[in-house]
Amino acid sequence: MKLTFALIRTSAGTSPVATALGVAILVGLFLFPNFVQSPYALHIMILFFLSTIQGEAWNIIGGYTGQYSVGHAAYFGAGAYTTMVLMQYKQIPPWYGMLAGIGIALVVSLIIGSICFRLRGPYFVLASIAVAEIMRLSAMNLKDLTNGAEGILITEIPVFKIGETVVTDFLSKVPFYYIGLVIALLTILVTWMVQNSKLGYYFQAIREDQDAAHSLGISLSIYKNIALAISAVFTSLSGSFYAIYIGFIDPPTVLALDISVQIVLICIIGGIGTIWGPVIGALVLVPLSEALRSNLIAQMIFKTGLTSEESGLGIFLKEHLAHAHALIYGILVVVVILFMPDGVLGWIKKLTAKKGRG
Amino acid sequence: MTVLLQSLISGILIGGVYALIGIGLTIIFGVMRVINFAHGDILMVGMYMTYVLFTSFGIDPFVSIVITIPLMFLFGAFLQKLFINRMQGALPQNQILLTIGLGLIMSNTMMLIYTSDYKILSTSYSSESFNLGGISISSPLAISFLITAAITILLYWFLLKTDTGQAIRATAQDREAAQLMGINVRWMSILAFGIGSALAGTAGALISPTYYIFPQIGGIFTLKAFVITVLGGMGSIIGATLGGVIIGIAESVSAVYISSGWKDVVVFVLFLLVLLFKPAGLMGKSRM
Repeated sequence: MKLTFALIRTSAGTSPVATALGVAILVGLFLFPNFVQSPYALHIMILFFLSTIQGEAWNIIGGYTGQYSVGHAAYFGAGAYTTMVLMQYKQIPPWYGMLAGIGIALVVSLIIGSICFRLRGPYFVLASIAVAEIMRLSAMNLKDLTNGAEGILITEIPVFKIGETVVTDFLSKVPFYYIGLVIALLTILVTWMVQNSKLGYYFQAIREDQDAAHSLGISLSIYKNIALAISAVFTSLSGSFYAIYIGFIDPPTVLALDISVQIVLICIIGGIGTIWGPVIGALVLVPLSEALRSNLIAQMIFKTGLTSEESGLGIFLKEHLAHAHALIYGILVVVVILFMPDGVLGWIKKLTAKKGRG
Repeated sequence: MTVLLQSLISGILIGGVYALIGIGLTIIFGVMRVINFAHGDILMVGMYMTYVLFTSFGIDPFVSIVITIPLMFLFGAFLQKLFINRMQGALPQNQILLTIGLGLIMSNTMMLIYTSDYKILSTSYSSESFNLGGISISSPLAISFLITAAITILLYWFLLKTDTGQAIRATAQDREAAQLMGINVRWMSILAFGIGSALAGTAGALISPTYYIFPQIGGIFTLKAFVITVLGGMGSIIGATLGGVIIGIAESVSAVYISSGWKDVVVFVLFLLVLLFKPAGLMGKSRM
């Protein structure tokens, strides 16, 4: 009830144009698979949802509470591995596996929190990395449980039934699209609720000045752990979702340091500590890295006639550019940190504010 | 007994190289208060430089450090002047992210040029070893340890006895006071980052005959460098030297007595324990 009131209040605060636009986008997103059948387009959208979930989840602990965890692969991997191990070896359907993954991620977050939150600043960053690395190395070595470096490949997902009616058989990308969309909307909603609650104010107080917050009676360890737990739940959900969607996981793809860094970058590039920052970040990163991966950039360079497909440079670009999609992450983060410290969202806001004044 | 002695000695030998990596990171941290997350990637650049010098020009990896050291120094100085310097005094998180970004650019650029294939630099002595009282010692590791020791001694002399070295230490102790004493702290920062990069690059050159060379190798060494410097105490050069040797020994002993798959886990657990119970590190008080 309180939530509905709050929703009405904020929607009254924003302009009707913005509200209408928001509703239109939402309806458009739900109808999208009815108009677009291309599996590739759906795939891009699913990746976009996945990045949004990861970014929003990290935002709770990194953006609002100011604790830069660079070990979120730990929760992503916990979700992915729990779901896959249960499905592959115990034939437990993934939707229960997702819940189990959340449970495991919560336990992991409490352990990590109790170790790492005693440390501050750069030491916290290092400790979070160390814990994630321990998890990755364990997954590599516990071969009986995780199949080690070979990873886990699922052959088929059980049909999802309610009673006797088949809801979906997961044969196309459409069910994944809707699952991703719903989880993404859920994370955005939770972020919004956190931001507008007492909890959110506590988080932000801790971010601004830990000692001041502590002296005002905010228990640092309790609220940091709550923030981490919320963050871990959604990161784990994204991990489970990723595992079921891709159908294959191994330690380098779900538990590596690269994954942790990518999760942070989504947030940093969009703008940390804001609801829409991670969405913007995902909107920038996913198409860019996909364009590189599928060699669209190389094709574009050929079209502009800078170099031809047959020339030495052309062949080089065609062969190698696809492998370097992470390069764009590196360049983007350097540019963002140096020139737009508040992320793309903050930069846009600044530009529009200047225009308004001018 | 021989097994233990054997693993202790190989631990100390590889620990020498680790010390070099750790000292580089700790000098950068001491002078600039920036944690360099691109440290391992700088080491990786050094490895590729050595690889190219060996395959294209036939220069022995241990000889080529004469070329690698100045080049890597310039590379580091350039990075500092162009990027890191702009972040002086910014939030530590943002500094960390900037260096992560720079590291990503380095590793992916290398991947663009050389693909992600594993490269092997095999010299005539790569797998050679000699016997010392019943203990076999790998020749390339022994040579690299001697070079490391020489460089470390030279570095200590530079920092303790020369004016520039003392100015670097002064800047690390108190940046503002150093500035008031007429020390050009900007120049010291460039120098420190240059030296740190040169040390990482040298370490890369020294291990290139015994390790696989590939663009993503940096991450492992960045993490190891942190473990070493935190263990020794951030900013302490003696601490980093000690930390390097301890980590080298911990790795080789646990590889023998537990398993080589779990040796890095042992190192990280050790790291967490130090962070929890002695966050200032072994030599935390005396900075540099």
